[in-house]
Amino acid sequence: MADDTPKIRNHIRRLRFEHGEMSQEELGKRAGVTRHTIMALEAGKYYPSLLLAFRIARAFGAGVEQVFDYADAGEPEQSASSESRKSEARTQAAEAR
Amino acid sequence: MTDSEKWAVWSLGVVALTTAAYFTFVALRGEGPKAISVFALLALVAVPKAGHRSWRSLDERERGIAHKALETSWRAGWLMAIALSLVIWRAKGWDMAFTVPMWRLQLTLWWLGVLMLAVRSVATLVLYRRGSNG
Repeated sequence: MADDTPKIRNHIRRLRFEHGEMSQEELGKRAGVTRHTIMALEAGKYYPSLLLAFRIARAFGAGVEQVFDYADAGEPEQSASSESRKSEARTQAAEAR
Repeated sequence: MTDSEKWAVWSLGVVALTTAAYFTFVALRGEGPKAISVFALLALVAVPKAGHRSWRSLDERERGIAHKALETSWRAGWLMAIALSLVIWRAKGWDMAFTVPMWRLQLTLWWLGVLMLAVRSVATLVLYRRGSNG
């Protein structure tokens, strides 16, 4: 049976890697939560509050949409953050021209 | 394993110990008001550090899980109280009056407490394992 629940995906694991393999402990400290909560977020077992989402995004120096995606049931893997990255790239290209 | 999960496992141990101690006591000394003293063992739930962590020291996920687990335990307690009243009603009828020794009433309340503690501990463990979304 297909799961109809909307999903909030996140890129915390990748962003930690891109930030010099930042540990879960370190990210937890910066966001004001425990390492276990970061683990649960990465595993998709927990959806954060808006406040925590902003704190995590700030810890990476990124926007919330670069860290979290909202996906309706059945929506393809195309993520909101990849969309925003594309539009950012389009803007930069237009500015360069 | 988080501190809260450790506390939940510990609490389940305390529940098992109390239950075993109660039935051992009853087997050796028989039922009666003295058997209630066994429930003093429940004080052991306060031994682990996590047993007296303040609500404020928990992060938002831990707080959410603690809240859901507590809510589940109250629901179980409430359901048990309703079930008990229905059983008494079925057995005795609406108009029947009966007297209950005070120690038996206390005993019922203690068992209700034990049940709620067990449900809260199990709910805590399940919510940490399966996730607390939704």
